[in-house]
Amino acid sequence: MSVQTEGTDTAGGPAVRKGRAPAPPRGADRASRSPAARLAAAPYLLLLPALVATLVLLGWPLVKNGMLSFQNLNPRQLIQHLTEWNGFHNYQQVLTGSDFWKVVERSVLFTAANVVLIMLIGTLIGLLLARLGKKMRLTLLVGLVLAWAMPVIAATTVYQWLFAQRFGVVNWVLDKLGWHSMADYNWMGGQFSTFSVIVLLIVWQSIPFVAINLYAATTTIPKELYEAASLDGAGAWQSFTSVTLPFLRPFLYSTTFLEVIWVFKAFPQVFAMNEGGPDRLTETLPIYAYVEGVGNQHFGVGAAISFLTILVLLVITSYYLRMVLKQEEDEL
Amino acid sequence: MKRSLFGRIWPNATAVVLFVGLVFPVYWMFATAFKPTGDIITDNPVWFPKHFTLSHFDRAVHADHFWTLVANSVTVTLCSVLLSLVIALFAAFALARMRFKGRRGFIVTFMLAQMAPWEVMIIAIYMIVRDGDMLNSLVPLTVFYAMMVLPLTVLTLRGYIAAVPKELEESAMVDGCTRLQAFRKVIFPLLAPGLMATSLFGFITAWNEFPLVLILNKDIEKQTLPLWLSQFQTAFGDDWGATMAASSLFALPILILFIFLQRKAVSGLTDGAVKG
Amino acid sequence: MKRKLASAIVIAGMMVSVAACGGNDGNDSKDAGPSSWKGQTLTVWTMDGSAPPQWSKDVQAAFEKKTGAKLKFEIQKWDGIQQKITTALSEDTPPDVLEVGNTQTPAYASTGGLADLGDLKQSIGADWTASVSKSSVYDGKQYAAPWYFANRVVIYNKKIWAKAGINSTPKTRDEFLKDLDTIGKKTDAEPIYLPGQNWYFLDGLIVGQGGDLVKKQGDKYVSNLADPKVAAAMEIYKKYAAYSKAPKDKDEATPQQATVFAKGKTGAFIGMGWEAATAIQANKSIEKDLGYFTIPGATADKPEGVFLGGSNLAVAQNSKKQSLAKEFLKIALSDQYEGELAKLSGVIPNKTSLESNLKGNAAAEAAAPGAAVGGTTPLIPEWAAVENTPNPIKSYMTAVLNGKAPAAAAKDVEGEINQRLAQQN
Repeated sequence: MSVQTEGTDTAGGPAVRKGRAPAPPRGADRASRSPAARLAAAPYLLLLPALVATLVLLGWPLVKNGMLSFQNLNPRQLIQHLTEWNGFHNYQQVLTGSDFWKVVERSVLFTAANVVLIMLIGTLIGLLLARLGKKMRLTLLVGLVLAWAMPVIAATTVYQWLFAQRFGVVNWVLDKLGWHSMADYNWMGGQFSTFSVIVLLIVWQSIPFVAINLYAATTTIPKELYEAASLDGAGAWQSFTSVTLPFLRPFLYSTTFLEVIWVFKAFPQVFAMNEGGPDRLTETLPIYAYVEGVGNQHFGVGAAISFLTILVLLVITSYYLRMVLKQEEDEL
Repeated sequence: MKRSLFGRIWPNATAVVLFVGLVFPVYWMFATAFKPTGDIITDNPVWFPKHFTLSHFDRAVHADHFWTLVANSVTVTLCSVLLSLVIALFAAFALARMRFKGRRGFIVTFMLAQMAPWEVMIIAIYMIVRDGDMLNSLVPLTVFYAMMVLPLTVLTLRGYIAAVPKELEESAMVDGCTRLQAFRKVIFPLLAPGLMATSLFGFITAWNEFPLVLILNKDIEKQTLPLWLSQFQTAFGDDWGATMAASSLFALPILILFIFLQRKAVSGLTDGAVKG
Repeated sequence: MKRKLASAIVIAGMMVSVAACGGNDGNDSKDAGPSSWKGQTLTVWTMDGSAPPQWSKDVQAAFEKKTGAKLKFEIQKWDGIQQKITTALSEDTPPDVLEVGNTQTPAYASTGGLADLGDLKQSIGADWTASVSKSSVYDGKQYAAPWYFANRVVIYNKKIWAKAGINSTPKTRDEFLKDLDTIGKKTDAEPIYLPGQNWYFLDGLIVGQGGDLVKKQGDKYVSNLADPKVAAAMEIYKKYAAYSKAPKDKDEATPQQATVFAKGKTGAFIGMGWEAATAIQANKSIEKDLGYFTIPGATADKPEGVFLGGSNLAVAQNSKKQSLAKEFLKIALSDQYEGELAKLSGVIPNKTSLESNLKGNAAAEAAAPGAAVGGTTPLIPEWAAVENTPNPIKSYMTAVLNGKAPAAAAKDVEGEINQRLAQQN
């Protein structure tokens, strides 16, 4: 039996709370030539390439980035390969400045708005897919896949065109619908309107992943559960809350987790749309780090901001991470 | 009676509306790309192109080194996807099927790795690659793109592998297969859809990546298509025909790939979904 | 694949050590003379629009003939150029020669990324025009060679102006504005294409008002954007912009204003003389309708102030081909090719003796009166950071054009400007 598939459903159930799996007999470890020992080493060997890659390609840049965040690194130092340590100066500058906390607040709100919309609409579409006839379902799936597959930079350009001030089709439609002040509206002129376009773009791109995944998940719900529920006299809503939702819960958690990460980190969509403008009002944390670090050539400060960005993301996702830690413990 | 008719109609009606909303941006991109400029810059949108022109594409393709960039993008994307799949497959198998000390720690490591904000680490990466004298090369791009998708690939593949009933593997081993053979002959074929579904993430990520190649490869012969697209867009910002043609060219390979892999990907997701 | 990765890592590791040990190579070959030139390739970065193709071709031929080395021109886009140059200068194999804007030169000179060209100044730079050579001197040393200078003019579409019934070019600002008004009323063309963030035009207007962008406070430079003179310049800008439908939150390069003008539906734009070539490239038939005139000032006797833009050629300190790079500069900046550049592009050459090449060049003749009253952005190393994206002065312009009072708009961005001016290099 696969422990995994059950583990997610029964997380926290005392029956599976077994603690650590019995390790292979200790004695076998000593005799390193024995097949048992080789077996014990197998998982580590299998994991080795991935771990080495992560260490070299992610760990090293992270450490390097952390070191840069304690340096005064501007064009002169970069060009002459100088290392000038300046302690916590960069962090001090960022944390005492007025911009950083504003950007943090903006990033959190931005992430929340996007994720709520994505999960809500995505889930509804996923449930809708399950209700549709075969032909209609395939049609909608094609639509979802097309939106999903659209490369970010191309999609951003297309949205700029859709929302173009002159000859943009969105302004034309709004004008025809009677909202005449929108005829020549400059969507990139204000903070809220720029964010609206960005959110629409991100939601449009992210819904397919949630919807298709959720639909896939619903197909695995055993029919018997619904039968049992209706025998108990449950209505449509009740069978949804008592069968569908609990079954999908682990999936919803993990998808939300992924979406939070993806939206929070969203870079090309926000940057390419209006470069964080107007007046730097649509800069989220990654954009802020990029503009201060690479754009302003204040690389040490940029590194400090990016380090803080990671911290903020960790805080946001800590609830889910704790849950995973607990759950994986239960599985073993 | 009336109610049940309504009950049958609304899901389909909603689906149609959603379909139009989802597809319209993609449609509008292609439609604009094929329309003569007179039909693009017009007070009333031309919804269905009447006169087709390839002139916008002509302009887009005539950028310097266009085909070199195409070749670079294809190479980097394919290699990085393959690389991440192979590495991830080993790791995912261990995490899904084996019990060992520290397993939980490894899973959390990959979850954390998943959060890495690559765009804001590019100066650090730049300095590492620069000091390693590997600038203007496709190798660093390939390995870093592979790394960007590796954590998600590991975690997703782990779900797919876990979903393959263990009995199949065990019965194969009873029949005299080694564990490796059992994996190759039994699990791997069942895993194919999952692999395809997972590879899609890699394709999108590598095909799209932009800030890293911008800073690492100044030599135009080692650059990739996203740079071309963004530069094209800056220079011809108001020439929507040309920019849409460029975007269409850029998007087309991925769109085709997705449509092609769609069926398998969706069924793959079905298998892996429960794990999420 | 796994082995491939492993080998990639090993190679990377080896490269690190090779690079670390080989750090001194540069100095050895720096002194290598003409004998080593053959077979080398010299890379030269020029900015988009700077070097006319004909000039590049001629210089390349002369250079390759004389040295036996190869010459590769690489044309750079303006977008994100500062970061690109900074990182490039830090590399072991940077471009050997690069074009650097005059306002950026002090900053790059102060980073140590540019080679000292004192000997070149001695051998070929004796008669470089002092005023234009100024930006390439930092701390008493010559870090770049002046290449060319240019200022903006009005480039207009004769056909549209004739259609509006205007037969002569304006001599004062008021006449100019009246003409634009007439074009707007009598034709269906856009009178002028002036996006909200053509900030070098604003800088010229500020020069015309006798204002400056920074002022000294103690031993530090701070923003002077709230100066009423700057506000007055911005008000003039606003009057012009009122005749344009161009976006208020874009600059003249996004999209290229010349390509907009090339469509033949724009009365005029304010640009560099060579932008006409960009327009002609986009639409051949526009050539016969092109005309130029000096940006008119408040009175007929004094033209509008202009930003005296210019470019220097610098040699990267890390280049291993110092002598070859200097040889290139000697050829490119020789009277023959400097003169050819002036002739082809209509730009002001680096020596007054070569200005005769501008005779008969309509764009250059229109530019000359302006150059006399031109000025630059502050020539201090701290300045370059202010121009980094997002440029706060551009935000200021958009805000004013959208109706904000200049003083209030200035106040909004001064903190950012001061922060950037205070940024250590």
